[in-house]
Amino acid sequence: MSAVHVQLLNLSAGALLLSAVLVLWRRELVVIIRVFAVQGIALAALIAVLGAVQGSLELAVFAVGVLVLRAGVLPGLLRYALASGPQERRETRPLVNVAASLLAAAVLTLLALAVSQPITALAPSSATQAVPIGIAVVLIGFFVLVTRRRAVSQLVGFLLMDNGITAVGFLTTAGIGLVVEVGVALDVLLVVLVLQILTGRMREVFGGTDLDELRELSD
Amino acid sequence: MSLLGTLGGTLQVAVIVGGSPLLLGVMRQVRARMEGRRGAGVGQPWRDLRKLAGKEAITPRGTTEMFRAAPVLLVAMTLVVVVVAPFVTTDSAIPQIADLFVVVALLAHATVVLALAGIDTGTAFGGMGASRETTILALVEPTVLVAIFALSVPVGSTNLSAIVGSSLAHPAQAIAPGSLLAAVALIVVIVAETGRLPVDNPATHLELTMVHEAMVLEYAGPDLALIELGSAMRLSVYLGLLANLFLPWGIATEVGVLALLGGVVAFAVKVAVLGAVLALVEVFLAKVRLFRVPELLAGSFLLALLAVTSSYVLA
Amino acid sequence: MNVVATQLVAVGLGAAAVLGMVAVVAAVLLTRAARPAVVGVLTAAVGVAGTVAGVAAMTGQTWSVQLPGVLPLSGVLLSVDAFGGVFLAVSGAVAVAAAIYGIGYCRGGGGGGLASRGVQVATPLFVVSLLLVPAAGSVSTLLAAWELMAVTSLLLVVAEHRRRGEVASAGRWYVVMTHLGFVAILIGLLVLAAPAADDSWDAVRAAAGTLSPAVAGPVFVLCLIGFGSKAGIVPVHAWLPRAHPEAPSHVSALMSAAMVTMGIYGIVRVGIDLMGGGALWWWLLVLLLGAGSAIYGILQAVVSTDLKRLLAYSTTENMGIVLVGVGACGLFTSTGRPVLAALALTAALLHIIGHAAFKTLLFLAAGSVLHATGTRDLDELGGLRSAMPVTTAAFGLGALAASALPPGTAFVSEWVLLQALIHGLPAPGVATSIVVPMMVAAIALTAGLAVVTFVKAFGVGFLARARSTAAAQAHESPPSMLTAMALAGLGCVGVAVAPTAVLPTLGQIAGALVRSGAPVSGALSAELVGVTGVLSPVLLVVALAVGSVVVVAVPRMLVAGRARRAARLWDCGAGPLSERMQYTATSFAEPLGRVFDNVLQPVQDIDVTHHQESAYLVSSVAYRRRVPDRVERRLYQPVLAATAAWGRAGRGLATGSVHRYLGYGFYTVCALLIVLVVTR
Repeated sequence: MSAVHVQLLNLSAGALLLSAVLVLWRRELVVIIRVFAVQGIALAALIAVLGAVQGSLELAVFAVGVLVLRAGVLPGLLRYALASGPQERRETRPLVNVAASLLAAAVLTLLALAVSQPITALAPSSATQAVPIGIAVVLIGFFVLVTRRRAVSQLVGFLLMDNGITAVGFLTTAGIGLVVEVGVALDVLLVVLVLQILTGRMREVFGGTDLDELRELSD
Repeated sequence: MSLLGTLGGTLQVAVIVGGSPLLLGVMRQVRARMEGRRGAGVGQPWRDLRKLAGKEAITPRGTTEMFRAAPVLLVAMTLVVVVVAPFVTTDSAIPQIADLFVVVALLAHATVVLALAGIDTGTAFGGMGASRETTILALVEPTVLVAIFALSVPVGSTNLSAIVGSSLAHPAQAIAPGSLLAAVALIVVIVAETGRLPVDNPATHLELTMVHEAMVLEYAGPDLALIELGSAMRLSVYLGLLANLFLPWGIATEVGVLALLGGVVAFAVKVAVLGAVLALVEVFLAKVRLFRVPELLAGSFLLALLAVTSSYVLA
Repeated sequence: MNVVATQLVAVGLGAAAVLGMVAVVAAVLLTRAARPAVVGVLTAAVGVAGTVAGVAAMTGQTWSVQLPGVLPLSGVLLSVDAFGGVFLAVSGAVAVAAAIYGIGYCRGGGGGGLASRGVQVATPLFVVSLLLVPAAGSVSTLLAAWELMAVTSLLLVVAEHRRRGEVASAGRWYVVMTHLGFVAILIGLLVLAAPAADDSWDAVRAAAGTLSPAVAGPVFVLCLIGFGSKAGIVPVHAWLPRAHPEAPSHVSALMSAAMVTMGIYGIVRVGIDLMGGGALWWWLLVLLLGAGSAIYGILQAVVSTDLKRLLAYSTTENMGIVLVGVGACGLFTSTGRPVLAALALTAALLHIIGHAAFKTLLFLAAGSVLHATGTRDLDELGGLRSAMPVTTAAFGLGALAASALPPGTAFVSEWVLLQALIHGLPAPGVATSIVVPMMVAAIALTAGLAVVTFVKAFGVGFLARARSTAAAQAHESPPSMLTAMALAGLGCVGVAVAPTAVLPTLGQIAGALVRSGAPVSGALSAELVGVTGVLSPVLLVVALAVGSVVVVAVPRMLVAGRARRAARLWDCGAGPLSERMQYTATSFAEPLGRVFDNVLQPVQDIDVTHHQESAYLVSSVAYRRRVPDRVERRLYQPVLAATAAWGRAGRGLATGSVHRYLGYGFYTVCALLIVLVVTR
């Protein structure tokens, strides 16, 4: 792997992590979706760099697929979900405030670093050294899922996890069967569609998607 | 104490003391043009300083020595930083104190002195400004030190000359993820420490939003001139540090008229460009609420911590 | 003369013991009027003797003596090495300032009971016990000295119990916690000494290697809890912010500057000296406790409005920083980097010395304020500059020293500690590489909050205008108190400007403990050995002085300035500002309190009283806001509540009938006999 490739790989991995952090940082849902799209581009770039290093056409094709799905289709769907709803523009009161979320993200990143040390040690290379970042994105996505109130930001959290898992998969093996990957991608798409329909229903019934209010159903 | 360092220290004092009001002038001019005004001209801050220096000094009743000493200490501390930091030459005039920790802590100390002077006046404004300024200072501190940490780990030293020398020897390091993240974190720090938008608005005198201006509200005449000069010097120092820690191009590494001249010009251009960019960005920003500032600083802290981790994870 | 010079440790300690006894006798025999002065001078002499012995030990003299007859069973073994010498010197030096201060403080309005026989006897005994702890050469001697220190300090804490009700409560907390800590140390040290030939340090050190890790770990943790509670480490700190403010101020200084460091002494002695490092997780635990204490302590200090309570929490913070140094030392020892380990320990030792200097100064100045105004509440102080210039200058100097800003006292030690941490990366283990940046961030946050704390304490407490009549009628303290403050101030300036006078020696001491060379050298500037790094506090001070002169002189030459004029404060044309319009300590810390709301969890009550005639008219609104110690509330209260519940349950047994009590004894005897019969 040449120095330029390493540099590009690092840059795209850095962008992956940074966009996950920005999802935590920003409140406007539109911006969050835009950041998510940027993360899709970073993920596609990561796969493309890996493909270029290995000279693999399969990976290149998959990079294009990821770009279309993660940076085009999914953000588009989210934007549509947002536009069709009533005035829910901002993540107003997350369960954990923004400053604390950012500190939590710092801790999660360090945790990811500690956890992934054995994986990196198995086959030290520039690609596996970026594995902690993938795991950190998964953890941050989970954190978003846990602490955000709006359905759209929760969806983004879920998708962040998926992005992280994909990144880890490519960084560690670089050779998952294309069929499996496509299957997973379609699954994700399906989940998003189902969740979006659910969100729409919720909004019709309750007039908002603050998920905390669902608790009243069980009380 | 090398010849290069001594020459550099002398030149730096001349350039920064003479040039920092001009930097302020440039920034105001950029802002004015962006807002469709003609602006007062680049030299206006110097004309203001001259006018203030000629007025009579005023001591409000009930204040102590702290109030009178603060402007002098502010400028003196900044002056020491100006002398020792590598702005024009890589060598430092006093290498024993050209340490990144020392420099940053001295600049923080200057803020503390002003805060004490603000409390000393015994007015509501003074206390308010001091309280807010020190709050921001306390929250900035972790970001500063962790960013310093990120910069010093690859070099193995916190000495400024060593860090600048290392950046000079490895120019590719400037676009390493660790350096980029540290640079962004430091930019947030600089914005917070020099009281620029979106943390503080240097042009406002509205009590709800004032931070820095509230502390110095009681100053007038020559004292105010010193404070204005000190604040301008702080801004130049911070921008100069940012420029030279990451992009030390053009800095003089040897004694020679051309080299030194090149160092001065390169430094002036870099700081002026950074200042102009800062002013340009400020036009599009609104001041955030005081209690949103911790979010900004937590974010920059996270970036600094990521800079540390990435400097040995992605190495 | 040569014999004396080579035996300074023995001479110093002997003189301290004799002078201490003389002071006790004097306190018993003299009249009330003469007592404070004579006892104070004699106690100061004890301090001087202790300092001489400590400094001699630091420079390499060792001394050891066995006194078999003094204690039953084991006898007393005193043995002073260079490491113990540091603590000996610190305790002695603090005692000098505190004792001189006590002359004026005990005689004047500082307290009715302070000149009493009990207090005056306890003070020299306390100082002697502070010298005995680091001089102890065996487990039993240490435990005996430790107990003497606890009892004498307790007597001094409750000295003013007749005047204030809170003192008794503080004393109860102190006595319970210090004895629980003692039990932990006792168990830990006895298990540690069990396999050794006798209980001297040398024998224990030789036998410590034979302990299995399953035993060594709990032993270290027990010692950490016991010694840590004396050092005020969170979560076993609860006694400290109660006892230190309620004690007389010179005793607060002794406790806060000298006694708490004995906890650190114990941790280093056991963990690094006797057990030789141990496992990595010990030191990760120490680092975590240190960083937690530092941040928690300073957060409580920031929102505190009681001047002495603020200083007490600041002690917890500083001991936390010292513990981070100790933890870093252990961490680097167990990962095989002795140079960094020595550097971290050097930083910890320097911080102990610096902390002793500035905390003495700050407590003495706070006592002077209390003496003059009768209040410790920062919200009622202010404007003390004109009435108490020396005290104000002293507190200002102490505040600068405490807030880790150059050229301050704490700055140098924190700089050395940060250097050790920075050179710790890149590290081999993942634990190290994660913990080290976290520690840097923790120290930075602590330093930043410390700045706010001391800006608040000095600015609100001493500058601006008086917020109460008590503060407005303040007067300067008697000369003995001012002399003591001047001495402590000299110490602060010394450590700030010329730390290089002690740094190489401290480096040698630390290096000897972790088996490496001295990590610091240099006379004018501190140069790190083995890693790059250089700092010259002297040059920094000179540069700042030159800079100030230039800034004053150059404008005078350039501009013909007009004369300075006094004027009214700007008041928006609305008439003169009143002192009620100033920011108070509470309002000053409010923004930070709000930022750390989730951590501090303040309690506020708002009572609105309505007029009798109409529920719409409000007659008064009462607002109260307190920041209770959260650790105390979450950790101690459940335990206390459970204990109280047990007590209530037990009360049913005690009805007051003597026959019943006798009956309990009778039944127990019978039951025991029956058990014996059945089981045989």
